[in-house]
Amino acid sequence: MKQTKILFLIAVSLFGLVLASCVPGGAQPAKGWSGITSNNGTLYMGSMDGKIMAVNASARTQQLHFPADGEWEYPITAPSGGGLSCSQTSASVAIYGTPAVDEALVFIGGYNGKVYALNTSARSKNLDFPQMRDNEWFYPKTNEVIGAIVGSPVVSEDAIYVTSSDGKVYSLDKDFGDQRWESDVLAKKLWSTPYVEGDKVYVSSFDGHLYALSAEDGSITWGFASESKIGFVSSPAVSNGVIFVGSFDRNLYAVKVESNETLWNFTGGNCFWATPLVSSNVVYAGCLDGKVYAIDAGNGKELWKFDTKSFDPKGKGSPIVSTPVLAGESLVVAAELGNVYVINPETGIGERIKNPGNDNKPTINAIVQATPCVQEGIVYIRGQDNCLYALDIEQGGVKKFPLVTE
Amino acid sequence: MVDLIWNPIILNPMLNGLIALTSVLGGSFGLAIIALTFIVRLILLPLTLKQLNSTKSLQGMQPKIQELQKKHGKNQQKLQQEMMKLYKEAGVNPLGCLWPMLVQFPVWIALYQSIMRALATTPESLLDLFRHLYSWEVVTRALPLDSHFLWLNLGVPDGTMILAIIVGGSMWVQQKMVTAPSADPRQKSMNSMMQLMMPFMFAFFTLMFPSGLALFWAVSNVIGIVIQYWITGWGYLRRGASTQVVTKAGGQSGITKRP
Repeated sequence: MKQTKILFLIAVSLFGLVLASCVPGGAQPAKGWSGITSNNGTLYMGSMDGKIMAVNASARTQQLHFPADGEWEYPITAPSGGGLSCSQTSASVAIYGTPAVDEALVFIGGYNGKVYALNTSARSKNLDFPQMRDNEWFYPKTNEVIGAIVGSPVVSEDAIYVTSSDGKVYSLDKDFGDQRWESDVLAKKLWSTPYVEGDKVYVSSFDGHLYALSAEDGSITWGFASESKIGFVSSPAVSNGVIFVGSFDRNLYAVKVESNETLWNFTGGNCFWATPLVSSNVVYAGCLDGKVYAIDAGNGKELWKFDTKSFDPKGKGSPIVSTPVLAGESLVVAAELGNVYVINPETGIGERIKNPGNDNKPTINAIVQATPCVQEGIVYIRGQDNCLYALDIEQGGVKKFPLVTE
Repeated sequence: MVDLIWNPIILNPMLNGLIALTSVLGGSFGLAIIALTFIVRLILLPLTLKQLNSTKSLQGMQPKIQELQKKHGKNQQKLQQEMMKLYKEAGVNPLGCLWPMLVQFPVWIALYQSIMRALATTPESLLDLFRHLYSWEVVTRALPLDSHFLWLNLGVPDGTMILAIIVGGSMWVQQKMVTAPSADPRQKSMNSMMQLMMPFMFAFFTLMFPSGLALFWAVSNVIGIVIQYWITGWGYLRRGASTQVVTKAGGQSGITKRP
């Protein structure tokens, strides 16, 4: 009996340890999936280790020492508990949004609940942050934070707009970071990227609402509640007075702005996580079911669908987490498992870009959750392996640049 | 292995069931955990009854065990041999009361994963959740889940100590009800240690793990106490001088209270 009890105690202790450390699928830590923005030949992105980076593709191709001319990096950190040592340390902050660039300023929100404006010139010189005279700032300006920021910041005229996990939309002065307004609490949390058009800021919420806010003062000018109270999971895309948004119930909804009318809904095999892309009255929507759908924006009819499963050497489809992008006459889709597809947007006929090293492996052999970016015919993708990939969709070449600096 | 067996057979049904229960119970994830605990305990009831019968038989054998302890107290090897002989004759497996506990481990692990996945506290967790969801409307309707229940945020440990005290206290009561007193001082000391160690450990786990999981433990313990009471009464919790263990013929046993 004594041995039995000891055995039992050991088993219980082991259970605790296993539960605490080894069981996969517990609380997944926030790592980030920042997308890439291109501006004047420089690529701006958040890295997996919490840095905002300015990368020159040409310098990387030439394998110059980082940072080359015009390149820089700035680590975003937040205080964290020191564990048993009781001392306070700083930890890197996850970055989910795609940086917004306006002339010399780069804006980004961190999962630590702060918004940053970085000046490319000051960062190139590696000066202390923030350089006020270069219009660098962070918000809130004190040690306080707003809710974790998951969506991307959007610049429009003199203001930037961000959503926060505290359920509010914030509008900040672009040059000084002063708060212009903060909205009412619209939902328990807002993870979507706002869509700014004219004097309206559109946001979607997890509790099934769409809002139009006045860009001037943040007041709600229009609200829409889904009939079935199903939450919206993707960020909204707005075109010709219609909002396109993915929901938890595996539908893509088209809602007429400033009305309570749902024009149509399109059902996929799983959730439409990625923000849909709207071009020439066609909605291109990547779905977690591994398909890309082209839908007539006017009536919601399927024009074509592209199934990643058909192109996988292993016959396995891959969820599409990132938003498709248009590169010239082609639609480029990066699937989560690393395959990249080039599709004719009119016909839906496309092909997989092959991995130059091994045809049986995915195009870039890394998980892709960040939205790609196109610059001068090259598609740039940031993989979850903290590498930047450059894909020449014409020639088919793939180059890999690690984002970890010495 | 995880993708082929664990996820489709254990995790996904539990996760979707938990979210569906949330939907049915008006969006309360806490109530869904409580309901799931009842369901899990109901499924495990045959094993629980087996465990309790095994415990009951062990309780009934206490006079004989104490006799053996007195007789062979100085010779541990002989004592062990005689006790094993006694268990064999009575058809009792002393490990029998442990299996139901061990069987619950995978359930706890699956529940832990389900709670963390369902609450989806980070963007990665929310994205991952969609890999496990069925296309049932009752599931998608409940998303995203509200993690608040009473004073608890079910996705993080309870910082108030209240839940830790409930988990530890209820476990102590449950243990006290089934642990037979021993005449052997060493055994007595071991029992005391066990009675304190287990509740203390689970109270500690409560401070480490999401309160949703601790809620499951607390409710599970309370259900366990009720079942235990139904089978054996308060057992050794009210023992002292007032309880006498009576062994019936043929290995049947019962507890009677002294007048």
